[in-house]
Amino acid sequence: MQRTRKPGISRRSTLALMGTGAVTFATPWVARAQAKTIKVGMPTILSGRVAQLGTSSRNAVMLEVEKVNSAGGLAGRQIEMVIRDSKGAPQEAARVARELVNTDGCELLIDAEASSGAFAVHEVARDLGVFCIHTNSETSALTADPKQHIPNAFRAARQGVHDSIVGGSYAAAIAKTKGLKKWATCAPDYAYGRDTTGEFTLYLKRFAPDVEIISESWPKLFQPDYTEVVTKILQAKPQALYSCLWGGDLTSYIDQANIYAMFSQMEVFAVNMADYTALTVVKNLPKGIHSGNRYIKTYPATAENAAWGDAYKAKYNEYPTNWSWENATAVTLIAEASKKANSADGKKIAEAMRGLTIKSPFGADGTVTMRAEDQTLIGYAIGWGTTIPQEPYVPEVKAGDWKTILELEAEWKKSKGYA
Amino acid sequence: MTELQAERTGEPLSVARDEARSQRSRYLDVLMALAAFGVLASLPLFFGSKALLDFVIRCSAFGLFATSLNLLVGYTGMISFGHGMFFGLGAYGFGLIMQRTGIPVPAAFVATLVITAIIATVIGAICVRLKEIYFAFVTLAFQMLIHSTILSWASLTGGDQGLRGGIPRPVFLGIDLSNHVHLYVTSCALLVTGLLLMRQIAQSPFGYTLRMIRDNANRASFIGIDVWRAKLTIFVLAALFAATGGIVMALFVSGAYPEFAYWTISGEGIFINMLGGVTTFLGPMVGTVLLLILNDTVTRLTEYYGIVLGIVILFFAIGLRKGLMDFVVEWYVQRRDGAGERG
Amino acid sequence: MLNGFCAPIIAARRNGYLPVDLDALTGCLASPACLVTQTTSGFIIGMLLFLVAVGLTLIFGVLKVVNFSHGAFYMFGAYFAMTAYQLSGSFALAMFCGAAGTALLGLIFERVFMSRVYGADVLMQLLVCYAFVLIFDDVVRMVWGPEFRSMGMPAAFQVMPLFIAGGVVPPYYLLLIGVALVAAVILGLGLARTRLGKVIRAAAHNPGMVSALGINTGLIYGGVFALGGMLAGLAGALAAPVRSLTPGMGFSVLIESFIVTVIGGMGSILGALIGALLIGMIRSFGSLGFPLFTEGLMYLFMVIVLVIRPTGLFGKEVA
Repeated sequence: MQRTRKPGISRRSTLALMGTGAVTFATPWVARAQAKTIKVGMPTILSGRVAQLGTSSRNAVMLEVEKVNSAGGLAGRQIEMVIRDSKGAPQEAARVARELVNTDGCELLIDAEASSGAFAVHEVARDLGVFCIHTNSETSALTADPKQHIPNAFRAARQGVHDSIVGGSYAAAIAKTKGLKKWATCAPDYAYGRDTTGEFTLYLKRFAPDVEIISESWPKLFQPDYTEVVTKILQAKPQALYSCLWGGDLTSYIDQANIYAMFSQMEVFAVNMADYTALTVVKNLPKGIHSGNRYIKTYPATAENAAWGDAYKAKYNEYPTNWSWENATAVTLIAEASKKANSADGKKIAEAMRGLTIKSPFGADGTVTMRAEDQTLIGYAIGWGTTIPQEPYVPEVKAGDWKTILELEAEWKKSKGYA
Repeated sequence: MTELQAERTGEPLSVARDEARSQRSRYLDVLMALAAFGVLASLPLFFGSKALLDFVIRCSAFGLFATSLNLLVGYTGMISFGHGMFFGLGAYGFGLIMQRTGIPVPAAFVATLVITAIIATVIGAICVRLKEIYFAFVTLAFQMLIHSTILSWASLTGGDQGLRGGIPRPVFLGIDLSNHVHLYVTSCALLVTGLLLMRQIAQSPFGYTLRMIRDNANRASFIGIDVWRAKLTIFVLAALFAATGGIVMALFVSGAYPEFAYWTISGEGIFINMLGGVTTFLGPMVGTVLLLILNDTVTRLTEYYGIVLGIVILFFAIGLRKGLMDFVVEWYVQRRDGAGERG
Repeated sequence: MLNGFCAPIIAARRNGYLPVDLDALTGCLASPACLVTQTTSGFIIGMLLFLVAVGLTLIFGVLKVVNFSHGAFYMFGAYFAMTAYQLSGSFALAMFCGAAGTALLGLIFERVFMSRVYGADVLMQLLVCYAFVLIFDDVVRMVWGPEFRSMGMPAAFQVMPLFIAGGVVPPYYLLLIGVALVAAVILGLGLARTRLGKVIRAAAHNPGMVSALGINTGLIYGGVFALGGMLAGLAGALAAPVRSLTPGMGFSVLIESFIVTVIGGMGSILGALIGALLIGMIRSFGSLGFPLFTEGLMYLFMVIVLVIRPTGLFGKEVA
C-alpha cells in the first residue's frame, strides 16, 4: 500500500513549531522548568574587593557538584548551577535571589553572600519559602536569633561564637603560662569585627580572669593606612595583641606593623592568619603568630582533608579558602539529605537535613552535623596553633573541644536572650 | 498677546486662555497618570510572572529617586552628588519606625516623610547657598557623613548588617503589603502619584522660577525672587520623593542597608539621568528602565559588569552627549518642524 | 515609642562600646610622651596623604577638572611596581615603572578622553572619569586576578625603626616623607617661580591667548595631566610595599585625596599639604578620643570647611 504524504507542513507540526517558537522567544520573565536537571541558584560576590569570596566559593561548589552529578545527581536529577554576581550590594543580592527562583526556575538556593547580603537573601527565603543554605555568613545572629528562624533556611558555615570560645580558651592557656596580663585588640569596625572581638574577650577573661584589655582599636574595613593604629598599640605597651583583621587588611597591617618592629614586642593572636589567602600572600610573615584555622589542608591531619585540598589546588591552581570548604560542605549536605529523603524537593531536603550528620574531611572527628534546633553547622574542625613562614604553615594545631564549645554556646545564647 | 497690545486694542488680556491651557494640560497629566496606573495595575492579570512585578517595583523605587534628582539637576541646575542620602534615610526611617513601634503603615509613611523633611531642611539650609561644584562637594560630604553615622550607630541601625528581621507589615485599609501583588500595586500607585506631583511642581509657576534660576540666578534675584528660599524648597521637596523611593526599596528587600545611603546610589541616579536625558520630564523614568535592564541582563551573562557599564557611560557621555529621551524629543521636533515647513 | 529608640543607646553604653573616650584623649594631651608620639604619627599619616593627594589638586588647579579617576592611577602605579619588582627584584626599577607607566597612561587618557569634556559641566567630567574607574578596575581584575596581592618590603628597608625627636619613625616612611616634600617644593616653587610654571598657569587662565602666542596648549594640558597621574602612580608604587594590592583599591584613596584637597583648597599645593597634615592629626588624635567615629570626624570637618570657606583654606576664588 502506498503511503501518501500531503505537501507542506502538517497542522500538528505547525502547532508544535509555533509552540516551540513561543517558548524559545518568550521574554526572560517567563520561567522555564525542566524535569531532567535541577537548577540550583547561587547568589555571590564575584566583583569588587571581596571577589575572592565568590570565586573560591564557586570553585568549591563546582568541584563538589561534579562529584555529586557523576554519582547520579539529586534523586536522579543532574544539578545545574546558576551562579550570579550581586556585586556586594544587598539589594542586588535580594534581587538576584528572587530572579534565580522566579525567572530561572531554581528550586534550591546556595547563598554564598556575606554579612548584609546574607540577611537580604534570608528575607527572600522567608518570603518565597525556597530552600536556602547560607555558606559564607559567620554572624551568629543569623541562626541564633529566634526572629531569624525559618524552616527552609540553613547555615553551613563556621560561627563567630564557636571560634571565639576556642580562641579564648587557647589564648587564656598561653596567657597563664606566659603571664600575658595586658592585652590590646585591633578589629575592623563592622559587625563581624565587633562581635568576634567582644566574644573572644569574654571567653579570654573567663578562662584567665587576670587579663585586662588596655587598648582597643577599630580601623575601618579596607582602610589602607594603619599608622595611627600601630602607633597607638605600641604606645599602650601591651603584652599581647588580638586581631580579627582578615585578608588584604591583615596583610597591610602586618606589612605596616613589621616596619615598626611591632611583632618583636608582643605576642600576637590573629584569628584569620592561618588561611592560605593570607599565608601565601604576606611576603615577610613573622614567626610565631597564634592563629585559628580557617582552612588548612594539614588540619584535620587526615588523608581525606589533604586529598581534598590537593584536588582543589590541582584543578584551580590556587589554594582553597575558608569559603571553599564551607561551600563544599553545603553541597555534600544537600546531596546526602536528598539521598536520605530520596527526593530533590526543597521541603523534603530541608526535613532530611535537620539533625543530619555526614562524613566530612572538615569535621573534627570526621563528621559534621546540621544541628536541628537552629539549623546551623556544628562539629567542624576548629583549632589554634602558631605559624611559620613556609609549608605546612601551622605545624601543630591544638584542637578545640566540641563538648565545651556547645556548653558555653548554650550559656551565651541565654545571656543574649536567644534561648 | 502682551499687556501693551491689550491696552491699545482694548481687548481683554487673554490670560484666561493661558490659564485654560495650563488647566487643560493639568487634566491631561492626571488622565495620563490614571491611564498609566490602570495599565500597570492590570499587568498581574495578564502576566503571571513575579519577576516582571519585581522589575516594576524596582523601577518605582529608582524612578522616583531619579526623577526627584532631575528636579534638582535638570530644572534648577543644582548638581547634587549626595542625593542618595535621602533614599537611605527614607528606607531606614520607615524600617526603624515599623520595627520598633506598632503604628500603622500610612502613619509610618507620613512620619518618615516628616523626619526626612526636617533633616533635608537643615542640610539644605547649609548647602544651597553654595554654588556649582561646591554644592556638589558639600552634598557628597553630608552623604558620606550620614553613611558613616549609619555604620557607627550600630545599636540603632544594625551597622553594616542593616536592619534585620524583616519589616513588619500590618494590614491597613485591606492592603496587605506582604502579599506580592498588593505590594506591586502600592508601588505603582506611589510611582504614579509621585510622578504626577513632581510634574505639577515642574509645570507650575514655581517650576518656571526654578528654570529661571538655572539659567541665570543673578537675573532671577534681580527681579525679586528669593533664590535661596526657592532652592531650599525644591531641595526639600526632592528629598521627600527620594525618601519615598527609599521606602519602596525597603519594602522590596524587607530591610534597610547602609548601601542605600552610599555614594553608589547617588551615582546610579546620575547615570540614570544621563541615560534618559535631563531635558524632558520622563527622561529619568526612561533612564531607570534602561539602567535596570542593562544591569539585569549584564549580570546574567558576565561578572565583568564594570567594563560594560563603563563603555555604555562613555558612549552616552562622549558619543551621544545626551540622553535617550532628549534624542526622541529632538527627532520629534525636527519632524514636526520639517512637516511644518513642507506644509 | 520613644523607648524603642532610647533602648539601643543605653545598651551600647552598657556593652562598653562607647563612641567617645574623652579620657584617653585628654590624658594623652596631658602627657608629653604621648603627645609627641601621636603628633609624629599624625605627621607621617599626613605626609602619606599629601603624596597621594597632590596629583589631584595639581590637575584641578591647572586644568580646572576634577580627576575622579585619580584612585585608578594610584592603583596602576602599585600594580606596575609590584610586577616590575617581581620580575626584576629591583626596587628602583619598580618605582620607575610605576611612575612612568602611569604618566603614559595619564597622557593617553587626557588626550583621547578628558580633552573632550573640559568645557562641559562637572557632571560630564565625573561620568567620563567614573566610567574609566569601572573599566580599569575590571581590567586589573582580569589581568592580575581578584585576590589581593602583596609586593613585600625590599630587604634594604627591613631595618629597625628610628627614634627621632621622641617619636618612632620607620626608615621607609622617611623615604616617603622625603619624596613628598621634594614633590611639594618642586611643584610649589616650580609653578610660582619658573617660566614653565608661568606658561602653565597662563594656559590654564587663557588658553586661547597662549596658543595665539605659538605655544602648544594641547601639549601643556597633556603634560600636566600626565604629571598629576604620575604623582598618583608614584604614590601607589611607594605605598605598595606596605599595603596590599587589590582591584578597587583606588576608591578609598580617592575619597581621602578628595577630602584633603577640598579642605586645603582645590588647586593649592600648600593647601593640600596643610589639609593633609590636619587630617593626619585628626586621624591620629581622633582614634584616641573617638575610636568608632574617626572617619565621621573627617567628613564633619570637611562639611565645616565647605560651609565656612567653600574654596578651602588656601583655595582661590574661581572666577
